[in-house]
Amino acid sequence: MSDIINANPTILNPSDLPTRHSESRKKQSSSAHIADTISRLPAPKALLYDPFASSPGEDSAYSSGASDRDGDEDETAAEDIDEQEIYDLISTISDPEHPLSLGELAVINLPHIHVTHTSPTPQNPHPMSHVLVEITPTINHCSLATVIGLGVRVRLEQALPPRFRIDVRIREGTHQSTDQVNKQLNDKERVAAACENETLMGVLSNMLATCK
Amino acid sequence: MALKLVGSFPVQPDRVWCAAPHPHLPLVATASTDRAVRIYSLRDFSLVSTIEGGHKRSIRSISWKPNTKGENVLATGSFDSSTGIWHQEHRHAAGGDGEEPLESNAEEREEDEEWRFAVVLDGHDSEVKSVAWSAGGSFLATCSRDKTVWIWEDMGNENYETIAVLQDHSQDVKMVAWHPEEELLASSSYDDTVRLYKEDVDDWVCCAVLTGHTSTVWSISFEKNGHQSRLASASDDQTARIWHRKPKAKEESSTQPPSIIKGTGDETENWEEQSCLPKVHTRTIYSVDWSKKTGLIATAGGDGQIVVYQEVDGAKDGEQPGAGAEGRKEWKIIAQVPAAHGVYEINSVTWCPKWDKKGTTVDGELLLSTGDDGVVNIFELSL
Repeated sequence: MSDIINANPTILNPSDLPTRHSESRKKQSSSAHIADTISRLPAPKALLYDPFASSPGEDSAYSSGASDRDGDEDETAAEDIDEQEIYDLISTISDPEHPLSLGELAVINLPHIHVTHTSPTPQNPHPMSHVLVEITPTINHCSLATVIGLGVRVRLEQALPPRFRIDVRIREGTHQSTDQVNKQLNDKERVAAACENETLMGVLSNMLATCK
Repeated sequence: MALKLVGSFPVQPDRVWCAAPHPHLPLVATASTDRAVRIYSLRDFSLVSTIEGGHKRSIRSISWKPNTKGENVLATGSFDSSTGIWHQEHRHAAGGDGEEPLESNAEEREEDEEWRFAVVLDGHDSEVKSVAWSAGGSFLATCSRDKTVWIWEDMGNENYETIAVLQDHSQDVKMVAWHPEEELLASSSYDDTVRLYKEDVDDWVCCAVLTGHTSTVWSISFEKNGHQSRLASASDDQTARIWHRKPKAKEESSTQPPSIIKGTGDETENWEEQSCLPKVHTRTIYSVDWSKKTGLIATAGGDGQIVVYQEVDGAKDGEQPGAGAEGRKEWKIIAQVPAAHGVYEINSVTWCPKWDKKGTTVDGELLLSTGDDGVVNIFELSL
């Protein structure tokens, strides 16, 4: 890659970032649960070097990691996944051009994450949960906004139970082509095809390698 | 009325993008992320064959060639940018056109017959999103993220010639669908429009643009009702709409308001939005299918719901019946299934005939849905 797009970003001190990591993990059964899910994901190298194996990237994680266990997951973790949980999952993603996390760069901010749960009803025993993440690119013409958004989406698709519907958007007014990027990030078919592109998955797996 | 789950095909390892029923045999083929095509029997809902090895990435779309004699032919569109043509020959009797006992025999033999990856159609620059054979089987349409729609003509002996590359859309083309009788092609796109094409002397041209959706149009389906042509479309804007073709304007129609339809010369068609189906979906609608048999419409999408709509006489009490030339019609929801694939999204719905165990079509119609759970569910509408 050529020049760094934003050579001088604002950086937050990691100790100031909101987190539920480490000090409280043992008490947080759902944290442990998610960490457990993540540990079952294929190694990043599998995503990078073997796109033609019978378990391609995102989808294999989806089926082998999550779907065969969603039964008990639905019951145990349903009420527990909150905004902080989502923040912990995605704020540790690395920026594609800085050796810093999306949390440190304030690309991901706790107040810009919204989680909604719906209670089961007799008509619909399988309600969906919804998470909306609004991303704040470091500069308003950042061409990497799509890659960052895709990284956030892939991370959440891999880590969250399948009942979650995930919307990743660029925060209003923080980017010059918000609508265009939003439309791409939320087009299921484009995301699925991108996850079969080994070059892109290489970039993404580097970004996700720092996730705790 | 209610949609009743009457069966489901065994779990596949990955997302199933779509299912396509055979034009006259009790078979359905599925396209899935694991790069395989699976063919299931609609007599007993068993797996008949798994076809692998032709594509390097997800198979997104699949279509049976109609009017084939003595063989089955499938087209597959893949994220690997190619379109595959697959052949399965019947060594003995023809696959039957109309005689059910023969058909069921033919189907039994299929378990032994190998599918052959006969032709690769290269040309698209990026993922092929949809493939569709014309009603007569002589044309295959494909579309891609490269913004183009291609029409291929079957020249016989496994030769296919590109006869048109249509570049009218400004973004990804999500789906192509042929009119059930005419050589009229429709495509829907990420650019929020639906376009229609037909042949003008030697060239295929865009003859109508349907605008109104406010986001990606994922799916389109023609009505089969003679020349009263209508088209249903489903979109990321969470609506499904009905469009109809207006009768050809007469020569002396200069007093009429100017047509919004763009195109060339005589080949333009005048299509306009007729109605919007009742709004119940809360996420993207990924699929719409208009039953060729009953005229019912089904939709499904990211909210996991399947919804069935029926067109009813909309005239209220006291209103004069038949006041308008076309009569007042409106669409009502007659069945709604939440969580039709549990917590998962639904990628497609398609109507297909109902078969008994012997392979004879019986009264009623089935609705097949495919989901991110890797399952094909089979529903039947009951009174």
